[in-house]
Amino acid sequence: MTWENFRVALFEKAPQALFEHSLIVVVTITIAILISVPLGVLLTRPKFNRFGLVILNILNVLQAIPGLAMIALALPILGLGIKPAVLALLFQSLLPIVRNTMAGLVGVSPDVKEAARGMGMSPRRLLLEVEIPLAMPIILSGIRTATVYVVSIGTLAALIGAGGLGNLIIGGLALFRPEYLLVGAGLGAFMAIVLERGLCYLEYKITPPGMRV
Amino acid sequence: MIELKQITKQYAGQTVPAVKQLSLSIPKGEICVLVGPSGCGKSTILRMMNRMIEPTSGTVTINGEDVTSTDSDQLRMGIGYVIQQIGLLPHRTIAENIAIVPRLYKWPKEKIAKRVDELIVMMGLDLEKTRGKYPCELSGGQMQRVGVARAMAVDPPIMLMDEPFGAVDPIARTHLQDQLLRLQKEIKKTIVFVTHDINEAIKMGDKIAILNAGKLVQFGTPEEILTNPINSFVENFIGHDRVVKKLNLYRVDEAMQPVGCLVRETELQTASQNMKQAGTEVAFVINEKGKAIGHFTLEEFEAYKGDVERVRKKALRREKAFVQTTASLPDALSVLLEFDSDYLGILKGDELCGMLTFKDIRTHVYRKEGW
Repeated sequence: MTWENFRVALFEKAPQALFEHSLIVVVTITIAILISVPLGVLLTRPKFNRFGLVILNILNVLQAIPGLAMIALALPILGLGIKPAVLALLFQSLLPIVRNTMAGLVGVSPDVKEAARGMGMSPRRLLLEVEIPLAMPIILSGIRTATVYVVSIGTLAALIGAGGLGNLIIGGLALFRPEYLLVGAGLGAFMAIVLERGLCYLEYKITPPGMRV
Repeated sequence: MIELKQITKQYAGQTVPAVKQLSLSIPKGEICVLVGPSGCGKSTILRMMNRMIEPTSGTVTINGEDVTSTDSDQLRMGIGYVIQQIGLLPHRTIAENIAIVPRLYKWPKEKIAKRVDELIVMMGLDLEKTRGKYPCELSGGQMQRVGVARAMAVDPPIMLMDEPFGAVDPIARTHLQDQLLRLQKEIKKTIVFVTHDINEAIKMGDKIAILNAGKLVQFGTPEEILTNPINSFVENFIGHDRVVKKLNLYRVDEAMQPVGCLVRETELQTASQNMKQAGTEVAFVINEKGKAIGHFTLEEFEAYKGDVERVRKKALRREKAFVQTTASLPDALSVLLEFDSDYLGILKGDELCGMLTFKDIRTHVYRKEGW
């Protein structure tokens, strides 16, 4: 281990890797939220709730596929680069958000819904003003789980040329440079913890004062 | 006026309909109580009035208009709705909870704020302390007050209340009932009130509809129902203390008789002559300020052989044997039983205005029973 290697890893390689990694995480989680939350909402509506079990099972299967296998499978279809990486990670991050969205919505007290409906709230208003705000802490906790997951599995994206912190880890392994390994893995862990804590705080902030435990 | 015509509700997957061919018309400006055992369909009937449940057949009309002719959300915005579980939005403050329906009507902000304050005060809650609180910070009784305030926010002519006071403790319930009755005297809403408690029904109802197994068994004023239960079901539902319950319907001033004889505390020696002159068995003692402080009977006076001091003591032991004219007969009966006496003084404010005996209660109820 030399200081020089460490310096190169941390100050020359890491910023680029960190940026790429963040990009992968942000893009994946944004798309995952845009798909999962509406899907979760839809699956709890009376019209569609019979599909709930089927969709959750499909997502469970997707989730069960190891991250590495998923990334490898995306390669022949979408080639190299960030696109197949995002797709592979997306499949893996849908389940926690959909599941928590559904759990959050189902968990809204029927009495509150009954009263709100009885006062003349339309189903749309009920969803936006009552159900989603009350389910929000649980939805956010699903997003948190998915985010941590994507940060860690995201290191594998380097294998199909998407870059990110995985580059440092894989490079370090190939070149026998433990400094690179340390920087890549350390920053990955740090990023996961920061995001986790940050979302936790957000979760606390958006929980209405009347409902905090 | 709310009119139900031949309403039937058959829930999917159940062989017996929850409500069968039921017709009922609920007069305007009165409290109509739907009462019956669990599963008699009373909540279902209530919920068909604001289309929370759609009837399988039959029509519901409000002021002659079929409820299905308006959009269900619009219909519900115009009808106050209170449920046992209250259902305050836990993520909204009390003020925001009360403002829900005004906001649906898109009232301007200032108007909403003014109305919310008005309602909080009207429900007897502390304005400054309550407005910004969250529901979980209130007691059950306070929450239900907010529930009622919320239902009255846009002053709807009709209020539907589904066991509104069922989940609060007995003391808070009595308060809430009294408060609603007091309010109703001013606001004169058409209130449909569901309960399984016959005592609450008797207390709250201008009309009572007794239901069983999805059918209307008897409909009438509390007095009619207590006097002439139509069948053994109603009789059993009311309970064996039917006539005692009926006492609740009467006030002391309906049954009382004039005071037999008044004597000053200082003039007890002549009491027996006065009583004999007045042809009465009882004398009420008043002190120098004219306040009634007790009573004694002729029999007691004679038993003490005119020992004025003992008579005075006897009378003073009944210092609390008085009730106000507005008291109900059961309260008066209770006080009567508490003291070793056949007589009870009736006060209007501080002034003695009559007296009541067991016999008066009996004859009053007897007359009202109409035998």
